[in-house]
Amino acid sequence: MAVQMLLVINKSGGLIYHRSLDAESDKGLNSNDYLILASILHGSFAIASQLTPKALQLSQSAAQNIDFTVPYIPYVGMPRGRRGGQDKNRSNSSLNSSQGKLGSFKGDDFFKDAFQSWNRSGVRQLCTDQFTMYIYQTMTGLKFVTVSSQGALSASHTGGSSNMHSVHVADNFLRKIYCLYSDYVMKDPFYSLEMPIKSTLFDQKVKQMMENLA
Amino acid sequence: MFLLVNFASLENTKCTFDEISRTKISLLMAIYSFWIFDKHCNCIFDREWTLLSNSSSGTINSKQNEETAKLLYGMIYSLRSVTQKLSKEGTNNEVRSISIGKFRIHTYCTASGLWFVLLSDYKQASYSHVLQYIHSHIYVKYVTRNLLSPYDFAENKNETRGQGFRKINNRNFISTLESFLAPMILQ
Repeated sequence: MAVQMLLVINKSGGLIYHRSLDAESDKGLNSNDYLILASILHGSFAIASQLTPKALQLSQSAAQNIDFTVPYIPYVGMPRGRRGGQDKNRSNSSLNSSQGKLGSFKGDDFFKDAFQSWNRSGVRQLCTDQFTMYIYQTMTGLKFVTVSSQGALSASHTGGSSNMHSVHVADNFLRKIYCLYSDYVMKDPFYSLEMPIKSTLFDQKVKQMMENLA
Repeated sequence: MFLLVNFASLENTKCTFDEISRTKISLLMAIYSFWIFDKHCNCIFDREWTLLSNSSSGTINSKQNEETAKLLYGMIYSLRSVTQKLSKEGTNNEVRSISIGKFRIHTYCTASGLWFVLLSDYKQASYSHVLQYIHSHIYVKYVTRNLLSPYDFAENKNETRGQGFRKINNRNFISTLESFLAPMILQ
């Protein structure tokens, strides 16, 4: 999964952060377009919750059967050296850990457990010919959106069993971005809630994480 | 007393068996509903299956589904505008599927402005071949090549822009579509 773009949408549907990895994907779109795009996504999120099929509404058992647990996928978006540092390059591991401290998070990854997805009735994935968009929603209504360059044409090769896998990878990645948000945006005394994020530290960390995944 | 306990245990096992069979059926369920929209933003066909066990249950071209059809159309329309904005210049970028909490929406858009929409569960990643088949072998065969069926489902100006009410009521079309989709309901 190569990430092209990351958007953070606040709970009222406004775009508060936008980052593209390459300038090419930004072509022809200005910041106003991105604001509109974020609100459209927010709107279709609200509509999606109204569309639950009758068969699911009628049978409680079918609705309860669906598992919203997202499995932990190791080291999504973490530097590559960190992964090797565990067994092969023992000498490098101390260097790595001092290089890339995860803010206030201990250990070599932000979390190491499966977690629950709060996005139960909204859009989780939008698959098109050219790209796939993933949306992660937090309990507080904040939405993290990422666009991966892998489209439907390449995704169709992977087949049935792994069709949830890419969603889980994206959820793991976006939850880490959420960890970064809670560290570098929420602890910023100059940040006012629901307003665009101007934090350079957050920007750096997000960029690094996106590059790690590419 | 003994009889009571026995009865209770029997009741218990019956309950669990019932539950197992119900979960089994719900696990088998694959598709929930199927919709066709025309170029005038009208829903010209809708089919929704409601009972998990019965492939002939549910509604066809129901009035109750009008609001849902509008919501569904609106959501796909706005997400299509998003993807067209984000696509590379000069290329066509169509929405294939939208995954929502418990279910997935598959779309197939033709150049003539027809949208084929299928709501399914998470089990299969892509139904595009199914929708393509429905268009090319069922819709074209029984609606397009049918002299008695209207060419355009909006007959005058008042029925365009989502104001239309005409539906596909062709018997052959409905029965062929039913028999084609029936195995997928209990896959």
